[in-house]
Amino acid sequence: MEEKRHTSLHYEKELQAIKDGLIYLGALTETAIRKAMKSLSDRDTELAREVIRDDDEIDRLDTDLEERCIKILALRQPTAIDLRFITTAIKITGHLERIGDMAVNIAEKAMQLNEEPQLKPYIDLPRMTDLVGGMIKDSLDSFIKSDLEQAEQVRRMEQVIDDLNEQIFRELLTFMMEDSKNIHRALLVMQVSKNMERIADHAKGIADMVTYMVTGECVRHRTCNMLE
Amino acid sequence: MKRNLFLKIFFSYLVIISLSFFVLHLLVKDKVDKIITARIEQELMHYAELVDLNAPQAISGHLQVISKISQSRVTLVNAQGVVFADSEKEISGLENHLYRPEIQSARLRGTGRAVRYSSTLGVDMLYVAVVIKDREKLSGYVRLARPLHDVRSAVEQVYQSIFLAMIIGAIVSLLVALFFAWRLSEPIRIMEEFTQRLRQGLPVGFLRLQTTDETKTLAENINYLVEELQDKIQLANEEKSKLMTALTSINEGVLILNREERIEFFSTSLAGILSGHYEDFLGKTLLESFRNVELQNAFQSFKNTKTGASREIALGGADPVIMNVSLSEVQGLPGEEKTMIVFHDVTRLKKLERIRTDFVANVTHEIRTPLTAIIGYLETLQDGALDRPQDAKRFIDIILNQARRLNRLVEDLMTISKIELGEVVLHFEDISLSEIADNVISLLEAGAAAKAIKIENHIPKDLPAVKADRDRLSQVFVNVLDNAVKFTPDSGYVSINSFAQEENLVVSITDTGGGIPREEISRLGERFYRVDKTRSRELGGTGLGLSIVKHLMMAHGGKMEIESQLGKGTKVSLFFPVNKG
Repeated sequence: MEEKRHTSLHYEKELQAIKDGLIYLGALTETAIRKAMKSLSDRDTELAREVIRDDDEIDRLDTDLEERCIKILALRQPTAIDLRFITTAIKITGHLERIGDMAVNIAEKAMQLNEEPQLKPYIDLPRMTDLVGGMIKDSLDSFIKSDLEQAEQVRRMEQVIDDLNEQIFRELLTFMMEDSKNIHRALLVMQVSKNMERIADHAKGIADMVTYMVTGECVRHRTCNMLE
Repeated sequence: MKRNLFLKIFFSYLVIISLSFFVLHLLVKDKVDKIITARIEQELMHYAELVDLNAPQAISGHLQVISKISQSRVTLVNAQGVVFADSEKEISGLENHLYRPEIQSARLRGTGRAVRYSSTLGVDMLYVAVVIKDREKLSGYVRLARPLHDVRSAVEQVYQSIFLAMIIGAIVSLLVALFFAWRLSEPIRIMEEFTQRLRQGLPVGFLRLQTTDETKTLAENINYLVEELQDKIQLANEEKSKLMTALTSINEGVLILNREERIEFFSTSLAGILSGHYEDFLGKTLLESFRNVELQNAFQSFKNTKTGASREIALGGADPVIMNVSLSEVQGLPGEEKTMIVFHDVTRLKKLERIRTDFVANVTHEIRTPLTAIIGYLETLQDGALDRPQDAKRFIDIILNQARRLNRLVEDLMTISKIELGEVVLHFEDISLSEIADNVISLLEAGAAAKAIKIENHIPKDLPAVKADRDRLSQVFVNVLDNAVKFTPDSGYVSINSFAQEENLVVSITDTGGGIPREEISRLGERFYRVDKTRSRELGGTGLGLSIVKHLMMAHGGKMEIESQLGKGTKVSLFFPVNKG
């Protein structure tokens, strides 16, 4: 009896460590995209370099977390909710790692844009960054708290980001039509916006995994129900 | 409690009594048996000797009499063992009795006894035999037999009285036990109730006992302990409430992490700073509640080095709060080490710091720009331009212009520092806002007309007067209207309106200019803060106009507010406190 309690306590700690690791990774990626956007809006190339450097840490944490999850799968052979928790965690670290890569993409574009005069003052992009940062935070929150309502909110938010991306795209089109010299810069900004939109997609992916973890129901694709 | 005590006393009495009776039984039993048997034997012997053999014809009746008196069977046996008379049986059916033990023993010693199962009667019998002598010659035996259960019943009678005594003893001991149990357990029961109430945290008062023995001392000791305990509890509570008051009322946020690195205490001020719900953070880890990498790293490095550290960390996402975070260890019981984190909000300090450095940089920049122009043109003049009167005149005009600008700058700076130092003496008088506006409009009309801008004064003439300093108020209007004209494109509008709002009289100056981005509005009152850095300077501003307005309005007990929409225009509202006098 004593022995069993000890083991489960240890197991509990391992699960908590996975949780903590995910939050830490989430906070890192959120900081990364905020910094990447700041490097663009403040024209701070040094900050952009920092984002690219810090991505190594995100990659390292990603593999580390994944390894720990696999170890738990192998040694503890979790079942039911624990099993879904671990598999979800593995998927979430994948999403977060991709988000980190996109922050690097944005930072690279920022470095290129900083070489040239500013095309236009950025208003929608910082707003988008705040919303996307909030989505990452909320999606992880919903994971920690197993909060379906919050996961649903993140999914709804994704549509708002899509619309913002669309709006930025149209605005940049006018710049390009005005003057063909603008095209290069406008395309770079467009890529930044596109990257942001894809980060939002990943946040939504995390929210979908949370719904799966809590209910065991797949909401990722329209075809999910058909498969069942 | 009472029951247990009673049972204990009662059973110990019972055990003592039973034990003594048992020992008594062991000691007495054989003796009683022997004595009674011996007595009966003696009795039977006496009866045996009564048998008279001298009347052989009446012997049968004689035997009947003796048998009746002695309650026994009487048998006469001759020297050869042949039964010749019996009180209960026909002699013809009886076998030779010579070898019966009692007869044998009588033959040898004169008397004999034996206990034996009688086949004749089918019970255990006690047999007694006596020799009959006829002139010193053995002529036969008298044998008396009595069933043994007669003997036994005699013994049992003795035992019955002993058993009765035992029951009486047990009843007495029960009563005694009850009495002692009550006497002993009553104070103990009172103390038990008292301590029970104490355990449940009910008010207890004092423990009072009517006894004089050891329990009284015990009760006194309990009273003392209770008093001591209550004092300690009260002291601890007072200390705790003092500490909590201190922790919750200070501006700094305080957070305590327990050994499992979960939040154990969270001061309300911190909850306010981070606009989170108090309960949300209790029992959570640092990472869960703050989602901040820097804070987590600070905590990790503190855990590794165990030395108190303090660093500045930006918390929150979009609009970060800069916190000076210091970590320290809370000494508790061994294995209970906790970590205390103190958050000091330095956002305002940081902002002020930035404003100060910006100010120094701006002042030097603002002064250097006209100085560079002046020095440049003077050098040109020195290098020979003086000889070309046409150029010289143009240069001198520029130099004069720049010098005047420098002068304006210095004057503005002096005004502002005077206001800030409180050295400006305001001469309050009743002033009509409409009149002041008209005066200022007439000053600026020339400039406005050049850009075809219309300035409209909609302040009613009969608006109640405000108490203000005429010159300073003019300066406020000049600065605001000048800005409006400057930043409004050609053929725009500037209109001045007034309305009452709560305790204030509000004058709003609205233009149709380019507007100001939202994030810049909050910084507009700062010295040298310009929205559009190059354009403003081209237009000859010092960068101090709105700062002066802000300070002058504050000196008048009012305030300035700016609303703006990009591309639509800007509205500057001046709030004057209503003159109640």
